[in-house]
Amino acid sequence: MNSQTRPAVVLASNRIPFARSNGPYAKASNQDMLTAALDGLIAAAGIAGERLGEIAGGAVLKHSRDFNLTRESLLGTRISPETPAYDVGQACGTGLETFILTANKVALGQIDSAIACGVDTTSDAPVALNEDLRKILMEANSTKSNADRAKLLAKLRPGMIVPEIPQNAEPRTGLSMGEHTAIMARDWGITREAQDELAIASHDRLAAAYEEGFEDDLVTPYLGLERDQNLRPGSTLEKLGKLKPVFGGPEGTMTAANSTPLSDGASAVLLSSEQWAKEHGLTPLARFVDAETAAVDHVGGRDGLLMAPAYAVPRMLARNELSLQDFDFYEIHEAFAAQVLSTLAAWEDPVFCHERLGLDAPLGSIDRAKLNVKGGSLAAAHPFAATGGRIVGNLAKILHENGGGRGLISICAAGGQGVVGILEA
Amino acid sequence: MQPARTERLDGPPGSLGLYGRAGLGAIPGASLLPFVGGRGSTLPDVELRLEGVEVDRERLAEYNEVCGFTLRETLPATYPHILAFPLQMKLMASGEFPFPLLGLVHLDNSIIRHRAIGAGERLDLAVRAEDLRPHPKGKAFTLVAEASVGDELVWEERGTILRRGGSNPEAERNPRPDPVPDGAQLTTQWKLGDDLGRRYAGVSGDRNPIHMHALSAKAFGFPRAIAHGMWSQARCLAQLESRTPDAVRTDASFGKPLFLPAKVGLALDEREGGEIGFALRDARGRAKDGEPSPPTEHLLGVIRPPAPNATR
Repeated sequence: MNSQTRPAVVLASNRIPFARSNGPYAKASNQDMLTAALDGLIAAAGIAGERLGEIAGGAVLKHSRDFNLTRESLLGTRISPETPAYDVGQACGTGLETFILTANKVALGQIDSAIACGVDTTSDAPVALNEDLRKILMEANSTKSNADRAKLLAKLRPGMIVPEIPQNAEPRTGLSMGEHTAIMARDWGITREAQDELAIASHDRLAAAYEEGFEDDLVTPYLGLERDQNLRPGSTLEKLGKLKPVFGGPEGTMTAANSTPLSDGASAVLLSSEQWAKEHGLTPLARFVDAETAAVDHVGGRDGLLMAPAYAVPRMLARNELSLQDFDFYEIHEAFAAQVLSTLAAWEDPVFCHERLGLDAPLGSIDRAKLNVKGGSLAAAHPFAATGGRIVGNLAKILHENGGGRGLISICAAGGQGVVGILEA
Repeated sequence: MQPARTERLDGPPGSLGLYGRAGLGAIPGASLLPFVGGRGSTLPDVELRLEGVEVDRERLAEYNEVCGFTLRETLPATYPHILAFPLQMKLMASGEFPFPLLGLVHLDNSIIRHRAIGAGERLDLAVRAEDLRPHPKGKAFTLVAEASVGDELVWEERGTILRRGGSNPEAERNPRPDPVPDGAQLTTQWKLGDDLGRRYAGVSGDRNPIHMHALSAKAFGFPRAIAHGMWSQARCLAQLESRTPDAVRTDASFGKPLFLPAKVGLALDEREGGEIGFALRDARGRAKDGEPSPPTEHLLGVIRPPAPNATR
């Protein structure tokens, strides 16, 4: 194997505006939306007809017919059909993980170019047969005699017509992600006001990014939507203060405004070696430096469900001999405002940093002016596997426009996982 | 040739009522009634126009699903046909029209898309019938539809329609697209349900009884319901959508009726200059008594980049 590595660079990204669940994309499938995001990227980068090294993509909620979702989507685009593709699944970390996988292959010289992408729909969700009914049908399928089949038929009950609907709950705890985060918010003493402030900043910054044209080459309109449907700038603490808590009971601090809504969308990122970029006349925006994934024991209750990035980042920093303050930009996925604030609080906490991270001193605080400078998931919304591509594309362009710098990406995921990475320009 | 008269419509005509009225034309003697097609011997010298047509995205999504297109921000090459179809129906169901609507046979259909058409663009539609001429099996005319955005012609369609009756052995047929070799592998197979005609009728508005049900088809002398030719053309183009340029000319010549249910397949023929020939063929047993027989062909088509700046 090649013992030398080479830089993998981000060249372009594209996404469709994110829509709220059962909104304008209600009739669009994951394959439709992913194809649209790829179409936009192919047009923006001028790579129609190119055979790429590979395309990695994924969706968190997937129909069984979409077993080869990324490959089937690419076959609907003008990229060469001789480009291989595969699906990746790491819950909300899927989008960033596709980028890490492909960037590593570029760095190793196994491929020269790739697209990392992700998509999710909560409108066209994979509703399945009732589990009891499914078992009877499977048994009937393997039953030979009519008498035995008749016995199975007798087991059918009217209630079995109720389908199996995907749950937004952790399989091993039965708690929804919001309820898990409410526990984190309480443990870390995150106030309602701090969460609402983060939400307001997210909306205002994303709206400003649209106004100044920053999003023009990152977002391609789809099905009549030109901007993220969830975006509502100009709110105030007073207005958001009126909302009732949705997680954590009547005393809870989490509301519909400081939690991401269910949504639909897709994103895609083009990356390559420097040589490939040069040959295709494309300007590298940023280069991939490193990545780390971590997981916590949320089932045992030792850590909160979405605290894994708090572990992943210090491990990555140590390996790269960086401090938490050595960054010009921080892109922390706002699944919930409380997730971002709990993570920041953990890094400031001497006890957590000593006992859990094994550090002599806390990582410390970050300059909040550098956090999610073009808005985050609270404003754009969070179509699970599409978030990673949105953030990588955003950060690469931010770094490029800044004329250089270093950026940190942190994304929490279901199952107590976290995926983080570093880009530089 | 531009017709003498232009009739501007305020809204899309409903096709359901028109088929009801058109059905009367099939009854002997009914064509003598003033509102039933079948009088006269010349095509009405009129162009029907409907301006500022907006695409209903729900309908587009349903059409794309039935035909196999990806739901994009741009329209399938066949979609403006769906928008123009009610105008064509109105034209052919008018008292001025020389033939009853039911019983007309769609022989071929040719579309030029000059550029990608956004689903959010407002289209001005124009429809007319022209060039009534003898055909070996009766009389034929050309049904023209055009879509413009402002002053820019973005899409045009010409279909040849046959009215059976009489024989004109000397008359010329329209040229057909170049054949796809008989032995070409069917690279795609589709199983078509007997409800396909009804499903396509739902998204296209074309509720001609020969497509709707085996029983209604029998009333017109067909053993089973027939798939719409425009569905066949759309399904083939959907299969080729990743290889269809934004500016494209696509021709389809309809062959043997596609009786439902069916199992069909697509054979492709790649040619010089980005041209792709395609044939929709029966995919059930092709050999009789061990002798390979020529495949039953339902549609023969081609896509290619259009000649620069050319309309036909």
